[in-house]
Amino acid sequence: MRLSRRGLLRAGLAGTAATALGGLATGCAVPTGSTGRNMVLWYWSGGLSDTVVKKAKARYDSSVDLDAIQIGGYYRSKLITTMTGQAHIPDIAGLKGEDMASYLPNADQFIDLRTLGAEKLKSQYLDWKWQQAVAPDGSLIGFPIDVGPVVQYYQPAVYEKAGLAHEPDDVSSEMNTWDKFFAAGEQLKKRIPGTYILTDVGSVFEMSIGQGTTRYVNRDKHFIGDGEHVRVCWDRAVEAKRRGIVSDLVTGTPDSISATEKGRLPSQLNASWAAGDLKLQYPKTKGRWRVANCPGGPSNVGGSFLAITKACREPEKAFEIITWLLNADNQAQGFVDAGLFPSTPASYDMKKLREPDPFFGDQITMDVYGPAAEKIPVAFNSPFDVALGQPIKDEIKNVGVLGKDPKKAWRDAMSKCRRIADHLGVSH
Amino acid sequence: MATVPLVEKPPAPAVEPPTPNSRKSIRSYWRLYAAISPFYLLFLAFGLIPVGFSLYLSFHRWDGLGSMQYAGLSQYKYLLSDTDFWSSIGNTIIIWALATFPMIFLAMVTAVMLNSAVRFKKIYRFAFFLPNVTSVVAVAIIFGSVFSTNFGLVNALLQAVGLDQVAWLNTPWGIKVAIATLMTWQWTGYNAIIFLAGLQTIPGELYEAARVDGAGPIQTFFRITLPMMRPVLLFVLVISTVTGLQSFSEPQVLLQTTANESTFSGGPDHAGRTMVLYFFQQTFDNNDFGYGAAVAWGIFLVVVIFSIINWRLVQRRGED
Repeated sequence: MRLSRRGLLRAGLAGTAATALGGLATGCAVPTGSTGRNMVLWYWSGGLSDTVVKKAKARYDSSVDLDAIQIGGYYRSKLITTMTGQAHIPDIAGLKGEDMASYLPNADQFIDLRTLGAEKLKSQYLDWKWQQAVAPDGSLIGFPIDVGPVVQYYQPAVYEKAGLAHEPDDVSSEMNTWDKFFAAGEQLKKRIPGTYILTDVGSVFEMSIGQGTTRYVNRDKHFIGDGEHVRVCWDRAVEAKRRGIVSDLVTGTPDSISATEKGRLPSQLNASWAAGDLKLQYPKTKGRWRVANCPGGPSNVGGSFLAITKACREPEKAFEIITWLLNADNQAQGFVDAGLFPSTPASYDMKKLREPDPFFGDQITMDVYGPAAEKIPVAFNSPFDVALGQPIKDEIKNVGVLGKDPKKAWRDAMSKCRRIADHLGVSH
Repeated sequence: MATVPLVEKPPAPAVEPPTPNSRKSIRSYWRLYAAISPFYLLFLAFGLIPVGFSLYLSFHRWDGLGSMQYAGLSQYKYLLSDTDFWSSIGNTIIIWALATFPMIFLAMVTAVMLNSAVRFKKIYRFAFFLPNVTSVVAVAIIFGSVFSTNFGLVNALLQAVGLDQVAWLNTPWGIKVAIATLMTWQWTGYNAIIFLAGLQTIPGELYEAARVDGAGPIQTFFRITLPMMRPVLLFVLVISTVTGLQSFSEPQVLLQTTANESTFSGGPDHAGRTMVLYFFQQTFDNNDFGYGAAVAWGIFLVVVIFSIINWRLVQRRGED
């Protein structure tokens, strides 16, 4: 056949049209969930131990192809977009701890793990963590991955120089309350001028909130951020500022990193997973850190869950996989590989978690993390906590960084909260 | 001036009015329509439908996953009374002004210098354009160091001339200046290249005539170069307005601190919270998709107002 220009055009157009039609046709038949033998698992980089995921793939190979995909970027919005779009929804999805409260009102999008026999395993997991995945209707939508017990990371050499307690046990007992911690901060500043025990006031406020059982909005959708329990935390943060033990640097900036390296900011109140960040950010300070209890008691930051979506075709199989992925042995491996602190207390006594850590001067850090994790209070997290906690956190930052009058800052925070509460339909 | 109509009536179309057989001609042109259809189909799927849906969304309450509830005009009512939204408009405009005017001045100077450069012309052009194709995220991280309090380049320079340190990323004005400087740095080269193209269209005879008449270089610049460059200048202004009003990554990356904190809060006193940053915070931090959509339409209106101002400027120039 001779190829004419017209013929070529026609062929090209026909081809395009066929592709487009084909696309439309398959478009109508986009599967809601996965297809074939696939069992799709969504998580994020560092969300699960790669070794454990690899082992799970091999272990369940005879029945399903476990397709574990690391989703980059803004994880939550990608997951809810896919779920709302009703197409290619993963069978198993990781849910981040800080997003958990916002998934709970939509518990009907996930399979109630109680129907698959989750209750039988409940005793093996930390109770407060388990409760975070219980929706208002009582259904359980997530299975615990890790937790983030908050501890005090500190540089013993600096504490010693300032005449403070510096062995982990002594620090834990002699700085067990916020008041004693602040007093230590004053001594530190007096003995070594230019050294601050706190980088910013925000950590005092947030850790204090985390040590309580109530936050900003209660179960009845009522704003309680103006209550005594928040006021106490606020006043505590303001006091830290007033006593002059807070630096004027912002956490994570080059200034604070350099000051930390030089021992000018010898203390950090942060979750267990921050140990990984410390090791990455300050490799030169290896051996110069220790871990002690957080003043004022244990609290939690972060930690995540695995859920089974409604689109999953084989919930029983999926449940078998996630309970295996998250059993005590594999959670111990998760800690070793990715710093995921286990939600299974049985892991805490395992040998591989009781290895001395050279970064922390060969301290067995589990002695601090483990008991802290078990003592974290059960708190209620409302889906409105993010929106209604933010104005208070913003204003305490203004007090800390800009020196705003604390009374005015509190008034501004409260009036903003009431306005947002009205908008969100939260009573106050 | 008010007597002059803003829009001139377009001249009568040269094409003939549609005849009864125009319908038939559409059918005979189907191949051409099919050939241009991919753009329209893609625009429909990824442009028009989302835009329409966001309008629909702005009349609802939605957490992104559950069922939507009709909310009438309440999202817009709240938008009007939301001081945070208004302050974010203020921040955006201040940052835009702080970035754009120095940028246009510097770009013009750079373009004139590039135009008169004798050697390495291409290398210079490439070097000045480079910042524009560098990732904003990488640039913002570097600028975070440049503006840091104790070890930043800027404070080192200030101290070298005997001035005090400024906590750039910790004070409301410092934050705005830092963001604006970043944007200036990133866009000066791009606009200089556009100015350069404009400069090269100015006929050489004009300069020759000026030289013959005894005009100096400064006079030549203000009497010939600048008036001839007016359309290019306006184009640059319009482009800068469009990008400046949508600034998002610059404050987001420059002001993010720790993993525990919202990356959309815009620093102390929300000094760096631009309109788009506020939209992200409402939508993705608070899961308030309905209100987020309303904020997006608010941003749209602000951009429309600025476009009208720009357009009127262009129109007036055209009538000179």
